[in-house]
Amino acid sequence: MKKTLLSLLVACSTSAMAAQSYEFGVTLQGYDGSATSSVSYGGQIARHALHNSLKKVAGKGDQAQMNTYLSSTEAGRVILDPVSKDGFPVKQSKIDELSSGKDLLSSAYDGVITGWPGNPTGQELLEQLVDAAAKTKAGYDPVNGYDYVQLISKFAMGAVFYNKAVNHYLEEKLEADQHPNNEAYKPGTAYTGKEHVWDEAFGYFGAPANGLSLSAKEVVQITKQNPEVFAKADANGDGVVDLKSEMAFAHAYYAASVDASAGTNYFHTIMQAFVDGRQLISDAKGKALTDAQRTELKEYAAVIATAWQQVIAEAAFKYAGSVYADLEKIAVIEEAHGDVSKAYRNYVKHWGELKGFALALEAAGRDLGNAQAGLDRLIGFSPVLFGDAQVVALDGKGGFVQANAGPMQEYKLNMIKVQNLLAQSFALEAKLNDKTAGMSDVLEQLNAAAQSAEND
Amino acid sequence: MLESYLTWLMEELATAGSSLLDLRKRVSLWYLLSAVGFAFVVFYWRYGKHGWQRLLPYVSPKVWLSRSSRTDVGLWLCNRLLLALLIPKTLTHALWISGLYYYWQKQGLTPLGLGWSTTWVMVLFTFCYVIADDFSRFFTHWCLHKVPMLWAFHQVHHSALVLTPFTVFRTHPVEGVLFFMRSLCVQSVMVSVFLVLFPNQVSLWQIYGVLVTTFLFNVLGANLRHSMVVLSYGPRIEKWLISPAQHQIHHSTDVAHYDRNFGVLLAIWDRLFKTWLPGNDQQTLKFGTGRAIDRTGVIGHWWIPMMDCADVIRHGVAKRCRNLKKRLTIREP
Ligand SMILES: [Zn+2]
Ligand SMILES: [Zn+2]
Repeated sequence: MKKTLLSLLVACSTSAMAAQSYEFGVTLQGYDGSATSSVSYGGQIARHALHNSLKKVAGKGDQAQMNTYLSSTEAGRVILDPVSKDGFPVKQSKIDELSSGKDLLSSAYDGVITGWPGNPTGQELLEQLVDAAAKTKAGYDPVNGYDYVQLISKFAMGAVFYNKAVNHYLEEKLEADQHPNNEAYKPGTAYTGKEHVWDEAFGYFGAPANGLSLSAKEVVQITKQNPEVFAKADANGDGVVDLKSEMAFAHAYYAASVDASAGTNYFHTIMQAFVDGRQLISDAKGKALTDAQRTELKEYAAVIATAWQQVIAEAAFKYAGSVYADLEKIAVIEEAHGDVSKAYRNYVKHWGELKGFALALEAAGRDLGNAQAGLDRLIGFSPVLFGDAQVVALDGKGGFVQANAGPMQEYKLNMIKVQNLLAQSFALEAKLNDKTAGMSDVLEQLNAAAQSAEND
Repeated sequence: MLESYLTWLMEELATAGSSLLDLRKRVSLWYLLSAVGFAFVVFYWRYGKHGWQRLLPYVSPKVWLSRSSRTDVGLWLCNRLLLALLIPKTLTHALWISGLYYYWQKQGLTPLGLGWSTTWVMVLFTFCYVIADDFSRFFTHWCLHKVPMLWAFHQVHHSALVLTPFTVFRTHPVEGVLFFMRSLCVQSVMVSVFLVLFPNQVSLWQIYGVLVTTFLFNVLGANLRHSMVVLSYGPRIEKWLISPAQHQIHHSTDVAHYDRNFGVLLAIWDRLFKTWLPGNDQQTLKFGTGRAIDRTGVIGHWWIPMMDCADVIRHGVAKRCRNLKKRLTIREP
């Protein structure tokens, strides 16, 4: 009910203001420079390019290269993804063209991650994963069941982008004493404090500036650099896709991907709240925001944070379903005495995606209640492996310790429980790859219908 | 610490209070009023323009302000607070149902694949769920009367000297836990089996977010069952549905009425278990257990049952010892 009201409110306010693209003029009072736009989030896009490139090199297992894109801030780094393709040219090819001196690691969550052995901080975990990936062939560790490409990528998106946006910019940075709107963000900038704070959060989401005029399917195809959507992606028609404003990255892609498959509306909900919040700041015309304005802004921020969290949980839900399906396939192949190596490879890959997204949920300092302990316990520190073993701890030298975890096929039940837990805890709507046969909907009804201890 | 405790206390009490407007709760204002409307129509039809006078006990201050009635409300609020601590809030059901759902499949249960529409599955599931739920309520209630250790707790409900709609909450916390477990069992089994047989099609038939039968039951005067208004459905309908008058017989002090009419919705279980009695608009009954507990407050209603239960156990043990000794002494020579 609350949500429908809010989305109704969001819908009404946009028709009134009609900002359809994330483009806003200069409002800073006393500004005498030449800039006409106050929008700036090049540093965030640089980190998206770092993440995409890190994912590419993680599949090669070269530690020095991985560190180049994880923790180094050196000049001259080449963007490995996205790069120009036939029919889909990209404007930038160097990280420095987006923003110089940026790295991923220092922006990552520095709180504790309970879902990984040894309770590392988010930053430590990213380093550990890269170190471990370097010791494997192509980022794949069949012995412990780890696909480091997936683990690194899915966790990094949460620990950096989602964390910075919802835990930092859309949280503490919205307070009155932080980067006020009646001052430049920094001396000399064309944008106010609050304008830039909001832009940085938007940049981390990773949506193209014209996202509201794109369908979810088109957003997905832009990330995939499909030449058929090039004209749509190249919003300013200059013949190249500008990574700074015309590309779709990270969670914006996942939001659109869930929407495209399930008909939900996560991408546009988040996009609309970003545009409306930014419009509100623009409308203040360079004056400090009133308490009422900041309250309204925080409501937009809450819409964004909730939907963003749901997108990550939807992704985890989907991959829990994939893990279940992989276990079924493995059982069938084993029964027929076939070769399970390919099915096992998929199982490990999907588990890495599930675990990466589940860890991402923990990586933004938001209280998950019972869900966090539940997810940690049900998913465990690794998939259940052949021989019914599972990683349970780290030894003194940082190696993984395995122990018996019960029959491998029983891990399917954990996946059902994971899906229920996610659906209930985060009020999921898409629920792709549902292996619970629609259980959470019935449970919701039953809770409402007759959860009473009364008798006659 | 104290502050968070007080917040929690206030929140729990506030949700209890919000039951009064919640269509999912029997004591919501709407159902309290609809019961009057329903009884008014029936009495007018049966007794003409003076029929409404039979409704007077429903609003009698003497009933509502009596000690027994105040204890109802006291137990309602105090039990809520206690059960909020005893019964884990969410997810328990989900874990159980997940486990069973997985278990049935492992046992070889598969989707029926009958191609039924979701509406038909909804109707079938609702029907089966209501039957199972109603029977489990009947059977639990039957056990509460027949098993001395359980009766020790259920006597709380029967110690009411007057009946008001809030008497429905007059239970011992232990009974509350039992009923929680009952619903856990029924829901887990029904939902898990149906999910396997009809994947992605299972839902309940609801009106205003309330199970359709619960809604009708409440609209049509469920609150009269615990009230001093005597309304019988007539012998023909009472063979199938338990009327307010029949439930009042269940509360009667008359020995002839002991252990009768355990049912909630359906009367068929009582007929099957030979515990069925018809009601009558003209019946005049006395309520209570006739024991000291009738005249105690919340503390007494929490404490006495536990003492009684302990007694039952002690007697049981003593009896067993005696029997054992007897057998041993018989064998000795
Ligand atoms: Zn009763
Ligand atoms: Zn009884």
